[in-house]
Amino acid sequence: MEKTIQVINQLKEEKLILDYAIGGAIASMFYIEVATTFDLDIFIKMNIEKGKLISLSPIYDWLKGKGYLFEKEHVMIEGIPVQFIPSYNELTEEALLNSKSTIYEDTNTKVIRPEYLVAIMIDTFRAKDKERALKFIEAQEINDKLLQTILVKYNLTEKYNNFKKLL
Amino acid sequence: MRIKKEYKEVIVNIFESKKEFHKEKSKLPIEEKIKILLKLQEIAIKANPGKMEGKRVWDI
Repeated sequence: MEKTIQVINQLKEEKLILDYAIGGAIASMFYIEVATTFDLDIFIKMNIEKGKLISLSPIYDWLKGKGYLFEKEHVMIEGIPVQFIPSYNELTEEALLNSKSTIYEDTNTKVIRPEYLVAIMIDTFRAKDKERALKFIEAQEINDKLLQTILVKYNLTEKYNNFKKLL
Repeated sequence: MRIKKEYKEVIVNIFESKKEFHKEKSKLPIEEKIKILLKLQEIAIKANPGKMEGKRVWDI
């Protein structure tokens, strides 16, 4: 995975993205136990001109130029299917902004913090999100005060409390 | 779920040790977790080949 991260870091160095952070199941694995997944989600912040629609083409063109192949919505980067997800709302923008710098093997990278991961799971609320959110709660790997602040800010408290009632 | 009185101590201990086990697994370094993930991917593909079309073990 280190080589994959190095390629993503190059995207930032080339200014094709302003910033990025690992999200999804792989980000969760930085904090809780392993769960099966087959792709690597990368949340990205892009430089967008006001009023223009975003396009991932510059990123894809650069990767194609490096010889990386596309498979449906993924790009195979050094053996890993990577999905680039532009931060699509205020919650994901804030999650990216507050992501945690870390090191994978010998390479710098950034990962979404657990409290934001849980808030995003509560927001998207698919079956796998509920399952993963439950694991975070059980593992007690979240700062409850920070999580509550995020949930209140993004109007997710009721949804979270209803979810917790089912546990 | 209510637990019968005579089973309570044993069951509570089992649940507690399970919780500890999962907590310990959470503390593994991410690099170790990725190695475990590769094994899980292999098992998942072998166990459900029909549902895993297009999925493959990371080639890293």
